[in-house]
Amino acid sequence: MSALLSLFLKFSAFSLIAFGGINALLPVLFDLSVTQEHWISSQTFADYFAIAQAAPGPNLMTVTLIGWHVSGIIGAVVATLAICWPSSIMIYFLQRYITNMQDPRKQKTVQFAAGALAVGLVLASAWQIALQINHSYAAYTLSIVTIAVAMFTRWHPLYLIAIGAALGVLGLV
Amino acid sequence: MSGFGGVLPWARRTIVEQEQWISSEEFSAMLGICQIVPGPNIVNLAVCVGSRFAGIRGAIASILGLMLGPIAIVILLGILYEHYSYMAVVQGMLRGVSAVGVGLIASTGFKMMRSELNFPSMLIVIIFTILGASYFHFGLGWVVLLASPLALYLAWKKATK
Repeated sequence: MSALLSLFLKFSAFSLIAFGGINALLPVLFDLSVTQEHWISSQTFADYFAIAQAAPGPNLMTVTLIGWHVSGIIGAVVATLAICWPSSIMIYFLQRYITNMQDPRKQKTVQFAAGALAVGLVLASAWQIALQINHSYAAYTLSIVTIAVAMFTRWHPLYLIAIGAALGVLGLV
Repeated sequence: MSGFGGVLPWARRTIVEQEQWISSEEFSAMLGICQIVPGPNIVNLAVCVGSRFAGIRGAIASILGLMLGPIAIVILLGILYEHYSYMAVVQGMLRGVSAVGVGLIASTGFKMMRSELNFPSMLIVIIFTILGASYFHFGLGWVVLLASPLALYLAWKKATK
């Protein structure tokens, strides 16, 4: 029960600082669930991340899997709700506030500032997570090639994920 | 449910193109707000679209509709993982997918950064955030708190330019 409660409280707090969405939050999730609480090993975290990427649905499924590992189906639901409810309440009110702002410059200021924070946090997150889950030069190469393909082509991400899976099955990563 | 590799493009097609619940412009504006405020982007979007039609109940209905199916599937995958994660093939597959996944996240960051390049001093905020979070290991809350004043100041200059 105490693990469930601590999971709920901490994930709820994360919800409100996740500028850039769940992607920006991954290193914090790693710190909490692997380094501090020892809920899962670093390998399991990497695998849950992979499963969440490949599964249909929102990318916050890493959170769901961690919750599931901690206390089954209830844990999965609690973790998912925890990461959603504070930000959902905030956006519910903030949405009206921002759209009703009289001064378009103020509106733009908020957007630009939050946008810049989101860019920094997402890139920092990708960097930190890469250090945790990529254990070979081949894996880093695959990540870098993915960046290039995703930036300069219009391929659907699912193709890239399928290619990654195939390379992994062949033992090349 | 059919949101393989991210729900967003599919959400757009259903909401704007097929059902025509809201206009394309309104959708983009909503998305802009949802991507910058904290929290899971797609959940934020569900709240915006849902509450546009049915207030709080609409918001809750959209979140549940969005999440229940994927939660069930991912738990199923979690159970499969418990049983088969010892297999070298499964381990290799997950290694490949996670390497691609990291690349996809980084590419999202770089794509978002493109629009920052027309006001280069904003890069200071981005670099500060990256260093603060990944090199100095300030907590995420601290990074946001420390970077916000500069971000707001520069954003004000960018907006009034």
